[in-house]
Amino acid sequence: MADLKIEGLVRRFGTVRAVDDVSIHVADGEFVTLLGPSGCGKSTTLAAVAGLDRPDGGRITVGGKTYFDSARGIYLPPESRGCGLVFQSYALWPHMTVADNVAFPLTLRKVKTADRKRRIAEVLALVEMEPYADRYPHMLSGGQQQRVALARTLVYQPSILLLDEPLSNLDAKLRDRARAWLAELRTRLGLTTIYVTHDQIEALSLSDRIVVMSAGRIAQLGSPQDIYERPADPFVADFIGTTNFLPAKVAALTGGVATLELADGQRVEVTADRPPVAGSRVTLAFRPEQMRAATAGEASGAEGSVIATRVLSRSYIGGRWQVALDLADAPIRLETEVPPTGDELHLWLPRAGCILFAGASNGAA
Amino acid sequence: MSTTTDVGAAIAPRRFRREIPIQYGMAALVVVLVAAPLLPILYQSILDGALYDSSARLTLGNFARLAETAGFGGVLWNTFLLALLSTVVAQLFGTAAAILFGRTDIPGARTLGELFLWPMYLSALVLSFGWYSIYGPAGYVTVFWQSMFGEAPWSLYSIGGMAMIAGVSQAPLAYLYCLSSAGMTDPTLEEAARVAGAGTFRTMWRITLPLMMPAIAYSAVLNFTIGLELLSVPLIFGEPAGITVLTTFLYNISAASPRPDHGLVATAAALMLVVIVFLVWLQSRLLGNTRRFVTLGGKATRPRPFRLGALRWPLFAICAVYILLSGVAPIGMLVLRAFTSFLSPMVPLADVLTLENFEMLWREPVYARSITNSFIVSLFGAALATVLIGMVALIVHRSEFRFRGLVHYAALFPRAIPGVVAGIGFFYAFALVPGLGGIRNSIWILVIAFTMRFIPTGLGAVAPMLLQVSPDLDRAARVQGADWWTTTRRIMTPLMRPALVACYTVLFISFFKEYSTAIFLFAPGSEVVGTALLQAWIQGEVGVVAGLATIQVFVIAVCITTARAIFGVRLHG
Ligand SMILES: Nc1ncnc2c1ncn2[C@@H]1O[C@H](COP(=O)(O)OP(=O)(O)OP(=O)(O)O)[C@@H](O)[C@H]1O
Ligand SMILES: [Mg+2]
Repeated sequence: MADLKIEGLVRRFGTVRAVDDVSIHVADGEFVTLLGPSGCGKSTTLAAVAGLDRPDGGRITVGGKTYFDSARGIYLPPESRGCGLVFQSYALWPHMTVADNVAFPLTLRKVKTADRKRRIAEVLALVEMEPYADRYPHMLSGGQQQRVALARTLVYQPSILLLDEPLSNLDAKLRDRARAWLAELRTRLGLTTIYVTHDQIEALSLSDRIVVMSAGRIAQLGSPQDIYERPADPFVADFIGTTNFLPAKVAALTGGVATLELADGQRVEVTADRPPVAGSRVTLAFRPEQMRAATAGEASGAEGSVIATRVLSRSYIGGRWQVALDLADAPIRLETEVPPTGDELHLWLPRAGCILFAGASNGAA
Repeated sequence: MSTTTDVGAAIAPRRFRREIPIQYGMAALVVVLVAAPLLPILYQSILDGALYDSSARLTLGNFARLAETAGFGGVLWNTFLLALLSTVVAQLFGTAAAILFGRTDIPGARTLGELFLWPMYLSALVLSFGWYSIYGPAGYVTVFWQSMFGEAPWSLYSIGGMAMIAGVSQAPLAYLYCLSSAGMTDPTLEEAARVAGAGTFRTMWRITLPLMMPAIAYSAVLNFTIGLELLSVPLIFGEPAGITVLTTFLYNISAASPRPDHGLVATAAALMLVVIVFLVWLQSRLLGNTRRFVTLGGKATRPRPFRLGALRWPLFAICAVYILLSGVAPIGMLVLRAFTSFLSPMVPLADVLTLENFEMLWREPVYARSITNSFIVSLFGAALATVLIGMVALIVHRSEFRFRGLVHYAALFPRAIPGVVAGIGFFYAFALVPGLGGIRNSIWILVIAFTMRFIPTGLGAVAPMLLQVSPDLDRAARVQGADWWTTTRRIMTPLMRPALVACYTVLFISFFKEYSTAIFLFAPGSEVVGTALLQAWIQGEVGVVAGLATIQVFVIAVCITTARAIFGVRLHG
């Protein structure tokens, strides 16, 4: 086991910068997730660590061993790195049985037959696939294939574990189970791991830290709570969870409490970590679970503000209602157990916990 | 993990990386193989003496001498005309067949399509003999026609007659390209025309055919190139009639000449090479265009066939007659001739049935040897070539080898080397390099030359299937600690088995049919079926020709059937 240091990694494809100056330090035993929309460079970063693809610049070291250093011209071939990589496609060799698939890396390391047998049995037991040792990959379900792929990687005790969207080929139910199973396995093994996904629930529930990537760059690096509760910019806020954005102007600033004037003149008070400049344009971002429908006659107070919105539509989504609201042309999504009656709905927004971004933004930009 | 022994994740880096000598070695092998016939020809073309004559000096005089050779202008004209006419014939038949068998509800479309492909599996040499036995001066149909209507209006001993045979043997190529393009075009384009009120034939003419245009253009250039390279048909029918084309010109002044003028031979060969290289370049340009056209809306929906209505059966009859007259009858007659001592409409068949022709093949060492040699060359040569081609495919498509682009280019270059040029070139190469005399007079020179000739054919069979194997499978092995060579052996080779079987089958057939290269290279003792066929023909041994041709047809038929039945190999499309 070892720590992983990526410094100033750059990979260009023609004029596209697939990975653009990415630096990440993954501590020994840490589980870090690369999260981001499709095409943001997650797989490219992973391939650079595994040695499947030669980057254009930067440095990668694992436990003091240099895998790649563009300045010194060092580039270790993948077979000399000792990484473990689980592919999105699982890449099980179709002409070998489960046991043979798992045995392959051990044969390469010249592990003696008896020892090899024992290790294969152990690792298959670990992933609960022992009864399937003699099957061929095409006779397994997607979830079982994924476990074999993991077993094949764990069996040689890789220095770091790289997982590229290992759950994305599973259906929703199986995915939940596999995630729970993976979380349990992760605490048991304690391997240094980089996990790639574009599923935020996987990222939030599994990771020690999350790296949110966008267009080849790191948008934010932090713990799941950091990322969720204190997103660095509207992109991160929008990408992780559902976020409502309201354009506003800072009307007043008194002792850490900012009074915002919304586009239609309504006022909201929020506490801000980083106080904005009075008079500037800002974007107020808040999660659906932070707000609620105001009770009848409730007014703004020290705890939170009440604002009036227009109801656009409501749809039943099982147990709850999803309500689309409109506030001066800004869309707001609310989930509630009681469907609103009438065209108007008053929302209650807490004073603490909302986030202010400088400038006008709707999150998509 | 609960394990006690530590296997150590990383495998210590090898002091030396095994793939380096393997990849460089294969690259060098391919480059040498392809350059071997070319460099001596180019060099000889600018020498005033023989290549092995140390007093020869550099000159440009050969080009002038070639231009001044009596009748050379006529040779070029004949070559052009034959290639052009055979292309026209091939494109007409091929395109019509593609539309009829691929896009209409003609009865028995599948079977007709299969039969239409037959000439592709045979060598043009065998097809020529077949046509001779039917449409030649004493052929069945000719004699029949004469007895009914007087003088037959056709002659195989003319440019038109030769173009007909060559066209029929090349029509399958045009057919296959047009068919695959028809399969890829968006059927909604046709349906839109029909909805707009266009009738069946108008839609075919205005929509289907124009959409096939890129495929027609590409296969036309391909067929024109093949027409230029063609040796067998002009050798058999052109020479007796005094019609010489570039290939037979080359043959006459080299292999058939007691004291060849090497400067002239090499210059003519170099000229041919330049023309073909240009045409192959043109093909690759057109292929780029074809792709751009045909994959446009390319969806997997099967286009609805055109309804022929009342014309269904008449068109079927025409197609059946074509297939009968162009392929089935000539080959059938050739096979029949092999089992008879004499064949004529006037003599009852039962009186002439005999196995004498095959006994003759058995008795005469030259013929027996040619068959054995052909089997050795095809069985072992194709195996060696398959190994080489498999390695080349892996290096080109599945390695980080620095010069893989160059290897790919070199491996595909033999498309631009005509069989006669390859034959002459290898002849020079082996004469030039000392110590190769042993190989020069053995069948191994044929194995080497055939291998070079058919690398592109083999790659064409391997590469598409290789590209379907997910790259994750070999990457997974690499990450787990297998180097390139181990990955190749343990992962890629088993996964490539169907591709390699297809490659071997195609090469076996190609090696078994090949004659144009061999004519320049064989020596007494290293005859193959192709060269023996030509020799027997020249000596007028019609029975032997029929016997050898029958054996060739039979072996190829068995090979194709086995490959299809056992391995499910698809040999085209
Ligand atoms: N071999 C390649 N050639 C050219 N461009 C490439 C290549 N591989 C990746 N790219 C480009 O690099 C960018 C990053 O690709 P990458 O595969 O790393 O994305 P990703 O974050 O893994 O996306 P996904 O979630 O869809 O897997 C993309 O814009 C992609 O088009
Ligand atoms: Mg990816």
